[in-house]
Amino acid sequence: MSAALIRHVLRRPGALAGSLFLLVLILVAVFADALPIDPLGQDLIASLEPPSAAHWFGVDELGRDIMARVVYGARTSLFTAAGAVLIAGAVGVPIGLVAGFFGGWRDALLMRFVDVLLALPGILFAMAMIAVLGRSQAAALVAVGVTGIPSFARVTRAQVLSLRKRDFVAAVEAFGGTATYSMFRTVLPNAWSPILVQVVVLSSVAILLEAALSFLGVGIPPPTPSWGEMLRTGKAYLHDAPHYAVLPGLVLTLTILSLDAIGRALAGALEQRQDVSVGLGASGGRP
Amino acid sequence: MKRGDFRPSGLFKALAIAAIAFVAAPAADAQESKGRVRVAILADINNYDPQQFLTVNFPIIKNLYDSLIEYTPDGKAVPSLASAWTIAPDNKSVALTLRKDVKFQSGAPFNAAAVDATLKKAADPQRGKNVYATMSIVKDWKVADDYAITVNFKAPAPDKQITDLLQFISIIDPAGIDTVETKPAGTGAYMLGERVTGQRIRLVANPHYWREKEPVSGEVVLTIFSDDAAATAALESGAVDMVYGGSARSAVRLRGAGYQLVQGPGPLVQVFRINSTRGPFRNEKFRQAFNHLMDRANMLRVGYAGLGEAVALPWAPASPAFDKSYNEKYPFDLDKAKALLSASGLSAAEMSNWKLLVNGGDEPSVVLSQIVQNTLGRVGIKIDLDMKQGSEFVDSMLGGKFDAMFGAIGNIQKFPSRLATNSIYRTSGNPVLGDPNPHKDYVAAIERVNAAFGADVKASYDNLNQVLVKDAFGVPTNTYDSALMVAAKNLSGFTLDIDNMLVARTLGMKP
Repeated sequence: MSAALIRHVLRRPGALAGSLFLLVLILVAVFADALPIDPLGQDLIASLEPPSAAHWFGVDELGRDIMARVVYGARTSLFTAAGAVLIAGAVGVPIGLVAGFFGGWRDALLMRFVDVLLALPGILFAMAMIAVLGRSQAAALVAVGVTGIPSFARVTRAQVLSLRKRDFVAAVEAFGGTATYSMFRTVLPNAWSPILVQVVVLSSVAILLEAALSFLGVGIPPPTPSWGEMLRTGKAYLHDAPHYAVLPGLVLTLTILSLDAIGRALAGALEQRQDVSVGLGASGGRP
Repeated sequence: MKRGDFRPSGLFKALAIAAIAFVAAPAADAQESKGRVRVAILADINNYDPQQFLTVNFPIIKNLYDSLIEYTPDGKAVPSLASAWTIAPDNKSVALTLRKDVKFQSGAPFNAAAVDATLKKAADPQRGKNVYATMSIVKDWKVADDYAITVNFKAPAPDKQITDLLQFISIIDPAGIDTVETKPAGTGAYMLGERVTGQRIRLVANPHYWREKEPVSGEVVLTIFSDDAAATAALESGAVDMVYGGSARSAVRLRGAGYQLVQGPGPLVQVFRINSTRGPFRNEKFRQAFNHLMDRANMLRVGYAGLGEAVALPWAPASPAFDKSYNEKYPFDLDKAKALLSASGLSAAEMSNWKLLVNGGDEPSVVLSQIVQNTLGRVGIKIDLDMKQGSEFVDSMLGGKFDAMFGAIGNIQKFPSRLATNSIYRTSGNPVLGDPNPHKDYVAAIERVNAAFGADVKASYDNLNQVLVKDAFGVPTNTYDSALMVAAKNLSGFTLDIDNMLVARTLGMKP
């Protein structure tokens, strides 16, 4: 991502606020072990105490510090999102690239596979995968990642289809460039923009899906902190200790809103850049 | 921020009430509610067979059927369909005199032939369901006349064991005995009016009911709610008159808000079940350490909002074998636990080589398991939780595919050997420990209880208690009520059942 693109994104107030929030979240998640907080330490006598100077977010039913669990839950969510995006991208992008570049039977075959994945509701598919793989963070990560494959594949394919017919690709091939060379050295580097937006979009989807799985009781097992698990358990104490569900829910909401704002700004910036590029082409900017 | 400062908004409440009103629509008409009791339950029933003592069937069994005798809340046997019973001096038989003024809901007369047909079903290993094990003491029975029947036992049976059997048997109409799972066939105060699977069950008064001036209300509507919060919101909005089987936490909150909280005499006991055939649990000292690793008071407070009693033995306070001194002998004490762990001779790695199976669908079990996991961490034992739900959990539990887990047991307020009706405590056919039962002292202790008379009774109970903590394949933590009743102020006439089943025949709305 170029410096100009970052400047363009950060010029939008929503994206700027979102970026700052995410930056803080990532920093506390990464350096959580260095903070004086313990997400697992129980103080059963303090069960469900409301927010106080000692516990800013209050404590849960087992007397664990909710803020500590939110921080470590961020680590769980961000790790799941990053892993899921990596899996989805590592599988989805090559599928879209090959399908879009070669077309024909390869395109038909790969896209039918993607259609099959797409036809299955994401959450049901993830739950089925967890039923097979068992309840663990790795299983949740894989399940969420697999549900993201179709979106990467389709976005990449669409971009490759439009690039495939461009003159510069034809030029590379005319000069003897192999298909592999064209795909990876010519087409793919020019297709990154929408994929980048997709990374942001899928990150928020992955965080939500992981939270939803935990909320339904099939996600990451306790005592590992997870925002969805906190919402699930906190729901039972909504009358006695509303802080239990509300505060983790608020952090989850802000995270999704932040990613959404960044995604929108990124898409807007890339669209604008494309418009400029197309405009230059129309006015004879190229020889 | 003061506790309780944050409350759901008015809009939230309005939406919740609107949703509840929609769910409970058939029962919502204020005009129609005269003579009707509306009860929220949290799970649909499974079937109408009174011999399948499933917890989900507890709201209907005592309303559609009557048993031969009943227990008062303090455990005294009183007549029901049997107007009298006489235990032979040698305790090898009991002669029953049946009521002559009872009719089944079909109109057929209740008589000894019906008792005979019901006993045949109960004694059948396939059809007897949960009553079958209790029938193991019965040798045969003889119908003397239409209203007299004598049940003979294989060996002298203690009085309490005999009355337990009579209380456990609800009589089924012989004409409907083969279809009883799908069509009720009892003598109970109510008949099935309507059932909409997954939504509601409407019971209507049996016009021929034999108890005078009962049932008090003409209709009982059981509305099924998907969760505890929805059910309690229904009670608060006035859409139902009572919540049966809600969570302890909601019950305590509602009690604080002025609702009636009614607890029955038949609680369950939460037990840390140990599969002593696997891993480090083969070691007796290691198992015994768990007697001191249970923070019972806090488990009860956090898991069950303090509703219940911390217990170190698998008995309810009403049980004749209950012995409170064990709570002091086996307290939560990490030093004592560490000494036993050390005496086990197991390495730290061996002691951590197991998983705790957790019923993910049961919040208190999740809480208790996490408390134990944390406590074990404090004595250097690092274990993972093996979360399972639904049929996957039941399969693991009943198939013995676990190292340890929390699970409730029942029948703990009755004759002490009834403990052996719970899977982990079975003396034979034990699905967890297998056959032959590896705990020979325990099997012998149960046999001694069954054979004890006179002065040996107390000694046999003491012996059983000592064996239970020594073998430690089940470590009890607390009693709790799985069938709490939280009711509106104007609902009255609660009849407490010894098994905490719902008895609706005396319930009525005060004007």
